[in-house]
Amino acid sequence: MSVVDIDSVSKSYDGEMALDRVSLQVEQTERVVILGPSGCGKTTILRLIAGFIAPDAGSICIAGELVSRDGRILKPPEERDLGMVFQDLALWPHLSVAGNLEFGLKAKGMARRQRKDAIDEMLKLVGMQALAHRRPSELSGGQQQRVALARALVLQPKLLLMDEPLSSLDLDLNLRLRKEILRLHEQLGFSMIHVTHDRDEALELATRMVTMNAGHIEDEKAAR
Amino acid sequence: MAKRGFLVFIVLLLLVIAAMPVVSMLLESVMVNARLSFAPYAGLMTSAHQWTLMGHSTALSSLVTLLTVALGVPLGIVLGKTDLPLRRLFAAVFVIPLLIPPYIIAISWSDLLGREGLVAPVFGTAFTESATHLLFGLPGCVAVLFTIFLPIPMLLTMIFLRTIDPHLEEAGRLVTGWRGILKGITLPLILPGILLSAMLVFLLSLGEFSVPNFLRYDVFPVESFVQFSAFYDFRAATAAAVPLAAITLILLLAEAVFLRDKTYELHPSADAGQRREIELGTRRRAWFVLVAVAAVALVVLPLVVLLVQSAGLHAYTEALSRAGASLMRSLIYAVIGATLLTFLGFFTGYLVHTKALRVWRTVDSLTIFVFALPSTVVGIGLISLWNTPWTNFIYGTPLIIIVGYLAKYTALTSRISAARLAQISPSMEEAAQVCGAGWFRRMARIVAPLARRGLLAAWTVGYIFSLRDTGITMLVYPAGHETLPVRIFTLMANGSQQLIAALCVIMIIATLLPVGLVWMVPAMRRSQAIK
Repeated sequence: MSVVDIDSVSKSYDGEMALDRVSLQVEQTERVVILGPSGCGKTTILRLIAGFIAPDAGSICIAGELVSRDGRILKPPEERDLGMVFQDLALWPHLSVAGNLEFGLKAKGMARRQRKDAIDEMLKLVGMQALAHRRPSELSGGQQQRVALARALVLQPKLLLMDEPLSSLDLDLNLRLRKEILRLHEQLGFSMIHVTHDRDEALELATRMVTMNAGHIEDEKAAR
Repeated sequence: MAKRGFLVFIVLLLLVIAAMPVVSMLLESVMVNARLSFAPYAGLMTSAHQWTLMGHSTALSSLVTLLTVALGVPLGIVLGKTDLPLRRLFAAVFVIPLLIPPYIIAISWSDLLGREGLVAPVFGTAFTESATHLLFGLPGCVAVLFTIFLPIPMLLTMIFLRTIDPHLEEAGRLVTGWRGILKGITLPLILPGILLSAMLVFLLSLGEFSVPNFLRYDVFPVESFVQFSAFYDFRAATAAAVPLAAITLILLLAEAVFLRDKTYELHPSADAGQRREIELGTRRRAWFVLVAVAAVALVVLPLVVLLVQSAGLHAYTEALSRAGASLMRSLIYAVIGATLLTFLGFFTGYLVHTKALRVWRTVDSLTIFVFALPSTVVGIGLISLWNTPWTNFIYGTPLIIIVGYLAKYTALTSRISAARLAQISPSMEEAAQVCGAGWFRRMARIVAPLARRGLLAAWTVGYIFSLRDTGITMLVYPAGHETLPVRIFTLMANGSQQLIAALCVIMIIATLLPVGLVWMVPAMRRSQAIK
């Protein structure tokens, strides 16, 4: 069973077609990278999967369950078991690093002891344990990226959505974080859809590459 | 050089207009027979009456603040973040009481519930006696001021909601519903705005004198006004004003320490287009009914009462014959005041935004301090400074009213201008500078046109606040130059209910009609241009 199954999905904004009958499946532990220029519809696919917007036509299934269809959201984002790293990271500025991770665990009703263990474990995994009580504004760009990753993964989602999270980093940090993402993927075994316009980044991260242009999938192939 | 020189001139102007009256009042309060004496303050501390006033003032302000924030914030969220039908219209309706002189709402409730009120024939004497007892006292004052200041937390909540990056809430949407997001993310993020609104409501309630005066509830501003206007006891009036100034100063210092950097410049989020609305779903109708009932009860009903009470051409003919000149004066002073406030506020906002002089924070704090001071305190300060034979060309003419507007309300136009200027890239002015344009030319041809919507908003706010001003004008207006709010206030003593209601309706039209025109004409031009 596919983790995500997008079937003939179309989406337009104010009459402008953003996606035109796009279909895409993502399998267990697969790393799909969507590559394409700005405005080609990459982020729209992620927002449709997350459930922030509904497709005008077509359907989306997550783990075999129908979650959106023909203009309707059938399952809200918080019930889709997803993690997401936003382009601007969207770290909550009023919460500490640990607080950012704890928010979702608390919402899921996890007990305090278990929450602490899960946060410690995840922060250890991304090498941020020592900075658990810092606010996001007190962290460097790379540290913020790690917190965003940790927050997305702490709930052990079956699918991780990454919306150009590395685009604003310098090349050196970008390269290091690519390695970090691959290491986490190997350790935790999640499926992933990563959106980027950087071909090198796509080649390094993908097990499968999807090239998009003007709302269409132009090419789809396994990465080398 | 031109820039620095002009901004220094603006700072000096603000010192004379805003700072010196307060300093002069404080000095005068400690000078007894040309010698320094703190005896008036010692008397202040030991007087039981002063402590009663303090209790009344703080009880009134605290209750109004608690109520407005407790209901204004949820209302702001419902109107600013959900898919409630007609939410813009509702927001506009709820704002109306803030735009008109506060006592008008009190008059309206008195006309409805008072002994000779509209409901008297229906509900009988026992009901109106109880209602009158409640209205004329603390509960009535709280209810009326709640209606007037509810828009402050509501609007600030709506404004601060627009500054939240939608991704911060979307990140939360992946793990919890809207209830959890509002509690854990949205409300903590807009907390500075909520605290700011609480402080503003507290200070404005503390300084409000026309409503407690009408509803006969003794508070510091009423005492100050009565001591000055009825007994002409300047020292007693000042003594009643100083505690208000002290509380204002303490609260503003707290704001400067805890909130200033968080509320200073508000930027709409860059991803505002992706902002998510809370879908009310099956509860949409229930929310609509609830908000509609609140709007009718708090705003529409008082306005309808005034219309009913003033029904008939005769009331309006008499109103215009007795107060037509005051209406014209009000309009003229408000237009002049708004225009000068926009000019002064623009350059003060520019100074604060660009930090062009080292005193920028002092200037900003000064304007905010004087705005937060009760009108009666500012009025007494103006009298203390300008009532001399050498400055009679100001004090003895309507100029003193305009000076009062500038002293009190520059903070509003300055903040609006600074917020708008913050949205304009500095490179706009720099590009003009590279082209060889001098500072005045850059201001006139580049910066001001780019900030025109902010300037229009500043002018509108300046007009509204100048027109509705009662506290300052009441104390400083020269003989024969009373404005409409002052005229209504004085006619309340002996005018008929019908006449007062008609004057209130005229006052509301004088406020809302020009404001509506100022905003509608450019909007219509834009829509025609699009066609």
